[in-house]
Amino acid sequence: MDEQKLIELAQKGDRKALAELVKAHEQTIYNFSFKICRNKDKAENTMQETFLSMVKNIKQFGGQSKLSTWLYRVVTNHCLMLARTESKHTADSFDDDDLLIDEKNIADWKITPDKAAENNELKKILDEAIQKLAPEYRIVFMLRDVEGFSTEETASMVELSVPAVKSRLHRARAFLRNELNTRFNYERK
Amino acid sequence: MNENKITVKSGLPSCKDVMVHLCDNLGEELNSPKCVEIKSHLEKCDNCQHYFNSVETTIQFYKKYNVELSNDAHNRLIEFLGLKE
Repeated sequence: MDEQKLIELAQKGDRKALAELVKAHEQTIYNFSFKICRNKDKAENTMQETFLSMVKNIKQFGGQSKLSTWLYRVVTNHCLMLARTESKHTADSFDDDDLLIDEKNIADWKITPDKAAENNELKKILDEAIQKLAPEYRIVFMLRDVEGFSTEETASMVELSVPAVKSRLHRARAFLRNELNTRFNYERK
Repeated sequence: MNENKITVKSGLPSCKDVMVHLCDNLGEELNSPKCVEIKSHLEKCDNCQHYFNSVETTIQFYKKYNVELSNDAHNRLIEFLGLKE
């Protein structure tokens, strides 16, 4: 059965259709939630809250966007709410391009991303690097670069202007790149 | 020091211009006159190529790092939502 039909049935209270919709999107939402939270328990909790919002509000879903886009918007809000309750970051800590980008002696990374999925040491480095990034920047990086939403879609999801998204994205990329550069011992000599 | 760093002439982008602009535009169309100059710079500048490649690699690392939802977590979700048959 196609998703539009499932949504119509769910909006009429069909619990089986709701369960089908959950099943169709749970992996994507859990994975995204983990990428923001970097913790499996928090990711599961955020996923549960996201689908609870879907179940409660499915009748209000008008179909202007895809259900997946709507869910990304909801999970983004839940991730930000969670992050704000435990934030150790200041969002203005990446304001200086001169500190983020030092153009001298950029190392040639002799490393490929192919093994990221199996390499636990690398996963730890990736987790630690992104946890240093303020959640507002992390979410923009994940939506735009990792999930592949356009700059405009990302701006709409996080309720920012397009220039603000570009600014956060460029700082997030530079920050993460620098963190990994340090952890891979490529820091300039 | 980087021997390949190009000399900055008036009106031409510096390495830093390239890096900032690449960060703004990775994955987007690069057809404007400024972007054509930037691409030209990138082709000649090892420093900027290394930077560009390392940013791309950073993105790829995070793209490829995914987690699987376990059956237990799926079951807890369905129960949490009251959708268990």
